[in-house]
Amino acid sequence: MEAAVNDHHDISTAVTVDVNQIKEELERVRWGLHDDQYSEAAEHAAAEARASVLNMITVVSDESQLARIKKVLDGLSITHPSRTLILLAQEHRSGEKLEAEVSAETRSDSGHRVSTEQVILHAHGEVAKHLSSVVTPLLISELPVMLWWPGLPNFESQLFGELCALCDRLVVDTDDGFERRHLRLLLDCAHSGASQTSISDFNWARLVPWRHLTAQFFDMPDMLSRLGEIQGAVIAYGAERPIAQALLLAGWLKSRMGTVGVEVPVEFVEDDSHDHRVARFDLYTGTGPDKARFTVRRIPGGRLAAEIRIGEHDAGSRTVGVPARTYEDLLAIQLTLPAHDVLFEEALAAAME
Amino acid sequence: MAQATLERNVLRDGLILPRTPDPAVMVIFGASGDLTHKKLMPALYNLTLNRYLPSGFSVIGIARTPWSDQEFRNEMEEAVKKNSRTQPVDHSVWHAFSQGLSYIPMAFDDSAGYQRLAKALEQIDEERGTNGNRLFYFATLPAFFPVIIEQLKASGLARQEGGWKRVVVEKPFGHDLASAKELNQVIHTVFSESQIFRIDHYLGKETVQNVMVFRFANGIFEPIWNRRYVDHVQITVAEDIGIEKRGKYYESAGALRDIFQNHLLQLLSIAAMEAPPNFDADTVRDEKVKVLKAIHPIDVANDVVRGQYGPGWVAGQQVVGYSQEADVAPNSTTETYVAVRLMIDNWRWADTPFYLRTGKRLPSRASEIAIQFKNAPHLPFAKTAVQGLAPNVLVMRIQPHEGASLKIAAKIPGPVMRIRTVNMDFFYGSSFLVESPDAYERLVLDCLLGDATLFARVDEVERAWALSDHIASEWAKQPPPDFPNYAAGTWGPEAADALLEREGRRWRRP
Repeated sequence: MEAAVNDHHDISTAVTVDVNQIKEELERVRWGLHDDQYSEAAEHAAAEARASVLNMITVVSDESQLARIKKVLDGLSITHPSRTLILLAQEHRSGEKLEAEVSAETRSDSGHRVSTEQVILHAHGEVAKHLSSVVTPLLISELPVMLWWPGLPNFESQLFGELCALCDRLVVDTDDGFERRHLRLLLDCAHSGASQTSISDFNWARLVPWRHLTAQFFDMPDMLSRLGEIQGAVIAYGAERPIAQALLLAGWLKSRMGTVGVEVPVEFVEDDSHDHRVARFDLYTGTGPDKARFTVRRIPGGRLAAEIRIGEHDAGSRTVGVPARTYEDLLAIQLTLPAHDVLFEEALAAAME
Repeated sequence: MAQATLERNVLRDGLILPRTPDPAVMVIFGASGDLTHKKLMPALYNLTLNRYLPSGFSVIGIARTPWSDQEFRNEMEEAVKKNSRTQPVDHSVWHAFSQGLSYIPMAFDDSAGYQRLAKALEQIDEERGTNGNRLFYFATLPAFFPVIIEQLKASGLARQEGGWKRVVVEKPFGHDLASAKELNQVIHTVFSESQIFRIDHYLGKETVQNVMVFRFANGIFEPIWNRRYVDHVQITVAEDIGIEKRGKYYESAGALRDIFQNHLLQLLSIAAMEAPPNFDADTVRDEKVKVLKAIHPIDVANDVVRGQYGPGWVAGQQVVGYSQEADVAPNSTTETYVAVRLMIDNWRWADTPFYLRTGKRLPSRASEIAIQFKNAPHLPFAKTAVQGLAPNVLVMRIQPHEGASLKIAAKIPGPVMRIRTVNMDFFYGSSFLVESPDAYERLVLDCLLGDATLFARVDEVERAWALSDHIASEWAKQPPPDFPNYAAGTWGPEAADALLEREGRRWRRP
């Protein structure tokens, strides 16, 4: 979505570390109140309802990432009015520091008037480990808390543990440097006893068209019987990046087939013709003239081809579009997910077996 | 290696659609017409693009235009390029989809043509695995429905064995009760009610479906959704456009048949129905029909107002009156505006008036259901504090700017007690990123899945016609109306205002 800001009130104010001051400032910017509490703006604000759908916490590691993430969150705020807390947590930097920048924005570029608030907390040193103590009082009550951790989280850090305990959903992108051991740590987060946190993964969301096309093969009445006869699968993936997406696809197949007692061996092969992520997914059944192969493969131009081959004959093929998803799209999708994405957690667990 | 006989597709777990439709052939009668170009083919393309259609899905176009298969594909490609909501059209997706398109040039009454159609269908079944599943789509003028039905019967194409057979009929379903019954009778000679899908595209709109979600997914509204708390309900379908180039059709239809008989009564049913125990097609439609059956006989002389627009100004444009439009008789008595006050005889709504109105060339385009609640029983504030305080109104906007708003009272900040009415507004558009699909995408997919929830059932259609026939027949007994009686760009005739004013109420400005 092209976002053109039509009505932008940037009323950023530097505030020192006192959380109560940040809270006060947030209330003021939320309702457009400035020096004169009985100003026209104040009266106008009293006649308005502000829609907010969530609290969004994002943790970034440096200033350049901060700028990129801010842009994504600005785009998302058009459709999901929220209170956004961006944490620039740099515990390795010397000198204790905690700065806060509070801003509010009213936008009408979607055709509707939407108001959002944003707090950027910048911390150095020890306080950076304890930012959750600043975050907690700044959350809008009752609304869900989403923690988006771009890049690879520091799973062992105190900040990660405390923020996970605070949030309803942790959002990561396992395409972003996750190795097998990181997937294991992610699974531990999902399974940690006391935690109610659900896990979302952009990489899993990118697999939806693959899962959909694969499932559709077996919607056809003549093909359902072949699903129980699957003998194996081959997943080809681009060689440049880690294998996370291929592992998740395999985990999905294994976990689903596991529910009906069918064990499916999966072979992974590198495909030099693609940079990264899954390039091709083959399922095969039977032998002789009745053997079948079901293939979903990536073709140029952001499309997927789905093909069935029975014996030596083509038994159907089609091409569908798979539009590239921006981070904004992917984040928005996470907002529509059920509380716990059980399928993802089961796929992740199966991928680790 | 373990193998299992599966009763369901376990790979579909967690995906949005419970299943993909079975492979089928959609036979479009009227394939060279506007509906196919503007709505059906773009809907099919977008369904394909979004992975909703099964592999093997095929289309046979039928019309008199002498096209070859390739010419039909070319024509449809141009239509999709021009009318698809998603742009640009993806060439490879279109190319793969278009391999399933073919065309048979024939007249609808040509028996030999149906034999060619039968052969083509058999061939597609064999080559593309469509297993005898057929969706016959009547995208033609209603006058052709009987002859197509007859030919489908005579050629054996409608026979049930070997795959499902369904028929889609486009609105209008008849011209009055008698013709609707006749049409239903003709269709029922070949297809059972469960095979018939009567499309009213209005019901496919996300926004109309949202009204049901709003009512039945939120626990806080149902307890006050009744005569005890509701003063009255206003349902408006207002259009700022005139009749455009549809003078011929509109002269025989008028606002009563064009909008009241279907859209307004559909909205009324959805607003007034009881909560269905589930969302099955017949359960939902049972509840809607109950509302129509409970409508008290309408006192046409006192409770119905008709109007016709004269010249005026709409949105800064000077426009002609209805009787000066093309293909309209200069002394036409066709109504372009209808307002109806009706009562529903049941425990929920007894003594609660429903005011319905629709009109052309009104000041703005708006469709909405407004529930006006009764005043608070007692106001413990000074009279000066509550001057101008309006009752609570809950509005469900269908279009434009789909959403809901609630009008409530609030204290104006300050040392003095002053109370003002404020609007809490919610726009669906600001909470959901996804683009709404076109109504035809949803409806065609539902036909292929066999889900008739959003389609009109025979008793629903006939009851709605009975209501509008009653009004038309009473009008026929009255002296000819003195038209025009409202200027284009105004909210309708004065008599419509009087309809509410006599009970101390007034129309909302949508």
